[in-house]
Amino acid sequence: MQGQIEEASYDVLVIGGGIAGGEAALNLANNGFKVLIIEKDLSIGGKMILLSKVFPTLDCSACITTPKVSEISRHPAITIFTGSEVQKIIKKDYNSFEVEVLKNPRYVIEEECTGCQLCEQACPVIVKDEYQFNLVGRKAAFIPFTIASPKVAAIDIENCTLCGACEKACPPKCIDFTQEKEEYRIKIKSIIIATGFKLFDPLMMPRYGFGLYKNIITSMQMERQLAPTRPFNTILRPGDGKVPCKVAYVLCTGSRDATIGNPICSQICCMYSIKQAQLLMGALPMADVTIYYLNIRSFGKGFEEFYEQAKGMGVNFVKGKIGKISELENGNLMLRYEDINENKVKEAEHDIVVLSVGVIANQDTAALFPDEQLKLDSFNFINQPDPLATPARTSIDGVFVAGTASGPMDIPDSILSAGSASSEAMSYLIQKK
Amino acid sequence: MEVEKGKTFKYLREKREVSQEAKDNLKRFNQIKKTILDLLKESDLTIEQLTQKLNMPKNEVVFYLMSLVKFGYVQTGAIDEMDEYFSYKLKK
Repeated sequence: MQGQIEEASYDVLVIGGGIAGGEAALNLANNGFKVLIIEKDLSIGGKMILLSKVFPTLDCSACITTPKVSEISRHPAITIFTGSEVQKIIKKDYNSFEVEVLKNPRYVIEEECTGCQLCEQACPVIVKDEYQFNLVGRKAAFIPFTIASPKVAAIDIENCTLCGACEKACPPKCIDFTQEKEEYRIKIKSIIIATGFKLFDPLMMPRYGFGLYKNIITSMQMERQLAPTRPFNTILRPGDGKVPCKVAYVLCTGSRDATIGNPICSQICCMYSIKQAQLLMGALPMADVTIYYLNIRSFGKGFEEFYEQAKGMGVNFVKGKIGKISELENGNLMLRYEDINENKVKEAEHDIVVLSVGVIANQDTAALFPDEQLKLDSFNFINQPDPLATPARTSIDGVFVAGTASGPMDIPDSILSAGSASSEAMSYLIQKK
Repeated sequence: MEVEKGKTFKYLREKREVSQEAKDNLKRFNQIKKTILDLLKESDLTIEQLTQKLNMPKNEVVFYLMSLVKFGYVQTGAIDEMDEYFSYKLKK
């Protein structure tokens, strides 16, 4: 770690550079406020930038996200720290906070990297690509994904063998292994928490066999397979490379289930599964897609029509609760389920099973305030004391919440929530002047 | 220590030891890559055929083979008559 601590000041700190954080930052910057975005990942764009298409319009997700991300990156009033973490937030007086930020080394001089990927080609190391949800490999010298912002290489130092191949291949000589962690102490007037959500880890439900049976995947793994920047040339089973013909979706994996500690509905799983089913029928015209559900919650604008459209396309909907999934010798999977309409226990064989994993609260933010209490609700999302009148307000004066940090919601609702957070932050800043 | 631009890896090598796991991972990948590429030099193969020759779990073959496709060493060939399994060939 470098000895010196750099000091700076901004009007608003936005924690999290996903779609909600980015939208809130843009609104504030367009109104003349100086904004700092702290993003723990190597690129802004959050989970949305990794999606294939959005429901119910089936618009290309990258086509919506990329111009927005580009606008955020190039805005003169927005500073972005990627690969960085907020360590501590101290409220100093009635209208200011002191924030300690740790910036992890990227081992690449960001301003000089051209994104040519020659370092990636030269690197001999291969590890699991977390941006493709471990379906394929990436190098230790890598650009996170094609539409990453910033499109700058990074070195995965834990897996790097320090062979120097990347440095030799780099035309602008921007790889710099002398970089160290940097500490910043930043004065801030207001904070927006946009730390998003975590996906449920299906390893917590051993009866589904995720991890044990290689042809059971998560919905994010299927999402990547359906995206234009997909890991394989087509949809394949990761267990043996077979093009699947019979696909099953298991809804409410990690949602509406008190036994795993998450009794609430994740609000997005029904619709993203229906979206994926429609996209699968386009990618694999002969495929037979079955969705096992408890209730289909198509509550938003155009959602019910989207659900009916999927049924019209031939997606099979079975109201059933999955008891157990077991693997057959040929890698196929046997689903044992209760058919709720017929009140019978049945079995069905599928080539691949997609677990529609739910939304879990990201609880990390509460610990950032040692002197104040950032209250959480009973499901560990950030509490909104007055959700009807001031939906972005939190238990700490001057700290606001945007997007799924306050609860499960879809992309349009996250953007609306970000609009609310930025408006409330602006109002707060004007009052405290 | 004076650090020459373009050779900064030497600086970090002095300060930090590369983990045994990273070294083993590289060694294993190089072996698998060489074997897969040698096998594909002889003929186009499916994942099933590669699995038998490599004596590795099928899911690992998929992972390494798809990574070699991604990095431009291998390309996808024809699909079988049942439209189930692709064959893979060296990229020329």
